[in-house]
Amino acid sequence: MKGPVTAEKEWLPEDWRGEIGELTGKKWRFRMTPARVVLLALGAISVLITVYRLFAGHEAVSNLNDHWPWGLWIGFNVLAGVALAGGGYSTALLANVLHVRKFSVVARSALLVSLLSYLFVMFSLFLDIGKWYNFWRPFVFWGYHSVLFEVFWCISLYLVVQLLEFGEIATERVLTGWHALFKKAMPVLLIAGVMLPTLHQQSLGGLYIIAVGKLYPLWWSMLIPVFFLISSFFVGPAMVTLVSTLAGRAYRWTVPTEVLQKLIRVSGVLMLVYLGLLVYDLSSRGVWGLVFKGNLEGNMFILEVLWMLIIPLVICWTPALFNQRKWLVVFGALVGSGVVLNRMNVVFTGMAGYLGGHYFPSLMEWALTIGFIAITALVYMFVAENFRIHAREEEIAPEVAEVEKGVVA
Amino acid sequence: MAGLANTFGRGVMTNHFIDYKNSDVILMIGSNSAENHPQAMRWILKAKQNKGAKLIVADPRLTKSAAFADIHLRHRPGTDIALLNGMINYILQNNLYFHDYVVNYTNASYLVNPDFGFHDGVFSGAGTKDGKFTYDTKSWQYQTEEDKIKKDPTLQDPYCVFQLLKKHVSRYDSKTVSRITGVPEEIFLKACALYASTGKPDKAGNVIYAMGITQHTYGSQNVRAIAMLQLLLGNIGICGGGVNAQRGESNVQGSTDMAMLSHLIPGYLSVPSAVAHPTLKDYLSKETPESGYWANKPKFLVSMLKAFYGEQATQENDFCYAWLPKHDGKNRTHMGIFDFMAKGAVKGMFAWGQNPAVGGPTAAEERKAMEKLDWLVVVDLFETETAAFWRRPGANPKGIKTEVFFLPAAMSYEKEGTITNSGRWIQYRWKAVDPPGECKSDLWIADRLFKAVKKEYQQNGGKFPAPILQMLWDYDKPGRQEPDLDRVATEINGYNVATREPLASFALLKEDGTTACGNWIYGGYWFEDKEAKVPAAKRRVREDKAGLGLYPRWAFSWPVNRRIVYNRCSCDPAGKPWNPQAVLARWDGAKWITNDVPDFGIKDLKTGDPVPPEKSAAAPFIMLPEGQGRLFAPTVGDGPLPEHYEPVESPVQNILSKQQNNPLAVRFNGSAAKLAETGSAKYPYIATTHRLIEHYQSGAVTRNCPWLAEIAPHMFVSISPKLAQKLNIKTGDEVLVESARGQIICKASVLPVVKPLLIDGKEIEVVAMPWHWGYKALVTGPSANELTPSVGDPLTSIPEYKAFLVNIRKAK
Amino acid sequence: MSKGVLVDVTRCMGCKSCQVACKSWNDLPANVPDVPEFSDGLNSPAETNGYTYTTVAIRTVAREDDYVLRFCKRQCMHCLEPACVSACFARALQRDPQTGAVVYNQNMCVGCRYCMLACPFNIPKFQWDKTFPIIGKCQFCFDPNGKLNRIGQGLAPACVRTCPTSALQFGEREALLKEARERIKKNPAYIKHIYGEKEIGGTAWLYISDTPLEIFGFRQDLGTRPLPEYTASYLKFTPYVAVGWTILLTALYLYTKRREAVEEEKKSAQG
Ligand SMILES: Nc1nc2c(c(=O)[nH]1)N[C@H]1C(S)=C(S)[C@@H](COP(=O)(O)OP(=O)(O)OC[C@H]3O[C@@H](n4cnc5c(=O)[nH]c(N)nc54)[C@H](O)[C@@H]3O)O[C@H]1N2
Ligand SMILES: Nc1nc2c(c(=O)[nH]1)N[C@H]1C(S)=C(S)[C@@H](COP(=O)(O)OP(=O)(O)OC[C@H]3O[C@@H](n4cnc5c(=O)[nH]c(N)nc54)[C@H](O)[C@@H]3O)O[C@H]1N2
Ligand code: SF4
Ligand code: SF4
Ligand code: SF4
Ligand code: SF4
Ligand code: SF4
Ligand SMILES: [Mo]
Repeated sequence: MKGPVTAEKEWLPEDWRGEIGELTGKKWRFRMTPARVVLLALGAISVLITVYRLFAGHEAVSNLNDHWPWGLWIGFNVLAGVALAGGGYSTALLANVLHVRKFSVVARSALLVSLLSYLFVMFSLFLDIGKWYNFWRPFVFWGYHSVLFEVFWCISLYLVVQLLEFGEIATERVLTGWHALFKKAMPVLLIAGVMLPTLHQQSLGGLYIIAVGKLYPLWWSMLIPVFFLISSFFVGPAMVTLVSTLAGRAYRWTVPTEVLQKLIRVSGVLMLVYLGLLVYDLSSRGVWGLVFKGNLEGNMFILEVLWMLIIPLVICWTPALFNQRKWLVVFGALVGSGVVLNRMNVVFTGMAGYLGGHYFPSLMEWALTIGFIAITALVYMFVAENFRIHAREEEIAPEVAEVEKGVVA
Repeated sequence: MAGLANTFGRGVMTNHFIDYKNSDVILMIGSNSAENHPQAMRWILKAKQNKGAKLIVADPRLTKSAAFADIHLRHRPGTDIALLNGMINYILQNNLYFHDYVVNYTNASYLVNPDFGFHDGVFSGAGTKDGKFTYDTKSWQYQTEEDKIKKDPTLQDPYCVFQLLKKHVSRYDSKTVSRITGVPEEIFLKACALYASTGKPDKAGNVIYAMGITQHTYGSQNVRAIAMLQLLLGNIGICGGGVNAQRGESNVQGSTDMAMLSHLIPGYLSVPSAVAHPTLKDYLSKETPESGYWANKPKFLVSMLKAFYGEQATQENDFCYAWLPKHDGKNRTHMGIFDFMAKGAVKGMFAWGQNPAVGGPTAAEERKAMEKLDWLVVVDLFETETAAFWRRPGANPKGIKTEVFFLPAAMSYEKEGTITNSGRWIQYRWKAVDPPGECKSDLWIADRLFKAVKKEYQQNGGKFPAPILQMLWDYDKPGRQEPDLDRVATEINGYNVATREPLASFALLKEDGTTACGNWIYGGYWFEDKEAKVPAAKRRVREDKAGLGLYPRWAFSWPVNRRIVYNRCSCDPAGKPWNPQAVLARWDGAKWITNDVPDFGIKDLKTGDPVPPEKSAAAPFIMLPEGQGRLFAPTVGDGPLPEHYEPVESPVQNILSKQQNNPLAVRFNGSAAKLAETGSAKYPYIATTHRLIEHYQSGAVTRNCPWLAEIAPHMFVSISPKLAQKLNIKTGDEVLVESARGQIICKASVLPVVKPLLIDGKEIEVVAMPWHWGYKALVTGPSANELTPSVGDPLTSIPEYKAFLVNIRKAK
Repeated sequence: MSKGVLVDVTRCMGCKSCQVACKSWNDLPANVPDVPEFSDGLNSPAETNGYTYTTVAIRTVAREDDYVLRFCKRQCMHCLEPACVSACFARALQRDPQTGAVVYNQNMCVGCRYCMLACPFNIPKFQWDKTFPIIGKCQFCFDPNGKLNRIGQGLAPACVRTCPTSALQFGEREALLKEARERIKKNPAYIKHIYGEKEIGGTAWLYISDTPLEIFGFRQDLGTRPLPEYTASYLKFTPYVAVGWTILLTALYLYTKRREAVEEEKKSAQG
């Protein structure tokens, strides 16, 4: 057992210098590799673009126009970003709320991915809005009738919650004096940390309810929030699989196949639910004809369903495949990219017919998105290398139990 | 305007814009009111909405006006006479003319010299003089008996106007019309029937025309055809009728009234000729007809001379007639001037509120001609293309010696004064804002300019100084920079020399020098409205007792505040209104009851007794010596009856006669005179030019106004979808348009705004271009006038802007 | 009683006076010298933008043997139940209940452009070239505290005031509806429909025409249900979901926790 668990320090630290010293005095590890240099360079470019964007306006950087008010940054960075971050709350729900201890092994990694994703989302949002100095206004002036209002509040609160959750991890290493306090707060944070994303994951879909008649009927539905919610949930395990595979390579951290299988089964069940609901929805709205119309929308819809649902489901329920770890990774990749495809279909394919005009992200838009991803990856690596993220099963379980004892007991 | 003056006596719009609401059928031909006279459209739509009026638009293009048309005649540019003569033929063949009106108020019954003839496109009297085609008009004159014109009220005499006309237009059967114009026969006949329906006493037909009619080498004859059509249907002098020549610039009517044209002096008196009128007596005896209102001409001229030269003008010295400049008989119109300029015969030029570098025909040649000037003064709001001609694209400023002066002028909202609109309403406008910087009103500039010239003469002498040194010029107002408008206006209005009091009307003008009047037709406009306590032109009383939209106390309408001229024709000879619903004047058995100022004598000036209707019925067109409207006009130099000729540049032969073009068309021989041959393979498409609502003229003002510049930023050419397909051109492509005179590159607009027409069995494409662009201002582009030809109408010298030949291809 | 404008397409001659008057009254800059791209010689700019609240759409329409032109001014419809207002999470868009004007307050705006996505008529536009862009949208000449106010003091909007042909008519919405019905009844040329009377719950600007309005880009699929109702019917669940889900999660948490503890105990008891 590592790290101090006891909370000897006072609620308010007396000696701030001590804290700062603790931060600065620490020996931070970060291995530089050629790949990381590239990532760093990409990140640096995106920072420059960000500054340029904020002070030179939109037109100077992006290809957005009056036909296409939302583009890559909202469509991918925000909508897909939040969805992919779904791994955080879904594993948190399973591992920490429902106490399926098997999953605890990935919970921290999932939390970190989620936290970083939300930071990525928030930064993207901030630099997408026009009057960014006004970003705080909806906190004060409540446009509660807007779905965006719910999204905005929820995401903001959830980010805070995640930061606090992460505080619990962070204080294992730095500012250790605070650790106990974080631990105490954990149960509340855990529950809030599941409740909030549940709300805004669906609300992100809910944003498009008002686009009735604009969003192609294959995607527009009063159920779109539910679809967004379920998919954000089942994409979690997929992401965990992917991240743990990638991180596993780098950090020689292996999540037991069995854990992944369990997770993926959960996804599989939810995907079946999704599929059922989809069939019901298409039937009740009588839009099956559109699916097989052979037009861009129809084909993209079919592709999306095959990609995000059908093929992964086959993998999930075919034992021969299911038992091979590499197929699990394929599952993860398919579902992850399938959900991105779904979101892109909503934002672009489904809107193109109505919006008209033309939009393709500019070089700088791409560079910024890629750069942000690079930064996110770098931060992940940094954190992973300096904090206890990739815990092993045997390390995690008792610890979590211990944390909770403090509250429950 | 010449066509109108020669038919009715006055070259003016007969009715006014508001009166359009009284029309039953409106024929808009060669005018696009929705774009160029939008306020007119307001009243046309009222007529449609309130009384179900019908609109026929005759225009080669699908215009914004045509959007409201019940029938749209898409005819080939330059074929209006065929169309109109065809209509006249239809009316005569089907006896749809207004018989009583025609017999009583037109010269239909007049007998014409039996020598009159017409053969293969040429009238009798054709000959050549100095190698040029001429007409001796002797054979066109009326037969007289003891100084009285011989008439046949039964209209049967083969030499009566009616029969001559009938014979002349009989060649314009609907089939021929269709072959020439490209309008399908059935559509043409529908339009004929609809318009002929206004030949009934209680129906009013209104013809609205503008540049689509006049800008041709037979523009005056086009107008004549319209005027004749209206006479035949009894549509002149009535509410909702008339020939409504919609004038151009907001105050072009005013400037024409003030003698902007090279053959006139103020009030439509002809310029004294150096040859014919060396003395006042020559002028008065030759220019004063014995009958008609022009018999008063001496009063007008003498009063004008009094206004010009004040005390210097006396009976003894012929009122200084000798000081009046005399015309040398050469072509002093726009094209004539530039022709002389190109030959180096013009030393200096004032471009005063004019931008010929964009608006003139074959504009590139006009710009080149300006290089021959020693000096050029531009009085304008902006540095126009004309002002900047010496540093235009492609020019070498070093090689141009012309000294250019720019005098910045105040815009209409930055000064006060009157504007005379198309309907002859003289309306005062107050200043809204001060002019910016050093800009001055045109009046200020003219005043200082005159004073400076006078000073120069005083100090250094010069040729013939008297007219300058002795000119009455007393407009200073103590303590004010601006000349005294009130004094200027009073002088124009006319005043009693002894008392300096403004006169109530030109009827009070004298031949003896006791009255002075700068412009007789404006008599009364500056006379005080006793109730409103302002000069008539300044009043704004919204009162319309008759409900006909006459608004008699809104501003002042010349002549004598008459809103609808020739209004005697609104009643039958006995004074009974043709249409009891729209009464302008009515004889109640003992006296005249009037809603408009009568255009005829109602009271004997001396005795004050009412004048019985029979008297005025004999001469309802008081400005004509014969007093009756001319279906046949012996005075029109290029023919007493309109005849179809092809535009000077045409893709086809004239199918009616061997005479391809108007034999008298004004032509030049400089480099501006290059023309494509008939049926040219090199220039296969007919081009016409037009205006856009978004821009004004050469665009000097509108292309400098950001809000207007952005709503029409690009020069373009309209081509039909069919031609576009053939040439592989899409909307937005850059295309090269080329004529025998030049070429431009502009955007293509591919819309059914224009379409190919079936001309005598052959499909011919028409393309159309606005002409509002140049190389200065906020948005620039080529002017369509790089392409237009310098040929003109014999009477007015107006250039043929509306029909010429071009080729088009995709620009690489 | 709220205000409205009746647009009668049969009376519009495409003169664009309204378009220019709007810029003039509202002090809107022209896109000059960076002018709008050439569209077809008739329309310019082709559509409204962050600096252009209204444009006159000009279309050629095929008729039996030839074509006609038709013109139609477009701007914010001032919906009775505006989607844009419901979409704005910063309260920068508000509907004035007295006049019915749907107005935008730039000081409140964040620039998220959700209103653009929400508006069924694609009205809100954005000043893409600005560092701190604002939304451009017809304000119905309503500006109660500013200098651009017209309808707030009983004047007709600038565009209406300028229209030479009375293609635009300002008044009480109810009265305009009556007038529209009368015109339609009197003249068979009209299509028997008042666009905006019922569409998405009604709009302050009403259109009558003799030509299908689709050609000017008016959607025909809108239905009569106000768009904000769609969102509201979804959002109304939020509090329940939030509270219910929290309770459920807490319960589950405690239950599974307890179960785990029990198991643990069992294990240690055995072990
Ligand atoms: N917005 C705006 N208004 C203006 C002006 C402007 O520049 N802009 N200019 C002012 C001035 S000075 C004038 S003179 C008037 C001119 O006013 P209009 O005469 O109405 O102007 P145009 O557009 O030159 O020509 C009218 C129509 O004639 C058609 N046309 C072309 N060829 C022929 C033909 O052979 N026969 C017939 N029947 N029609 C033909 C053209 O297609 C065009 O639609 O407008 C005045 N008002
Ligand atoms: N191809 C083609 N060419 C045409 C025509 C056509 O139909 N087709 N139409 C012809 C016709 S009808 C006309 S009238 C002519 C017009 O041709 P122009 O008269 O040469 O053209 P405008 O642009 O009217 O020129 C008026 C000038 O006066 C200036 N101005 C405006 N207000 C004032 C003022 O108060 N004081 C002073 N001093 N200046 C002022 C303006 O800035 C502008 O430069 O063009 C002719 N050209
Ligand atoms: S003169 Fe002025 S107000 Fe009258 S129609 Fe022309 S532009 Fe309009
Ligand atoms: S038209 Fe669009 S912007 Fe205007 S009120 Fe309706 S929803 Fe809002
Ligand atoms: S862009 Fe501005 S007005 Fe539109 S929804 Fe966002 S905050 Fe509201
Ligand atoms: S109502 Fe006012 S803001 Fe709206 S289009 Fe008309 S002038 Fe512009
Ligand atoms: S001002 Fe009136 S007639 Fe002109 S475009 Fe606008 S709505 Fe149409
Ligand atoms: Mo003109």
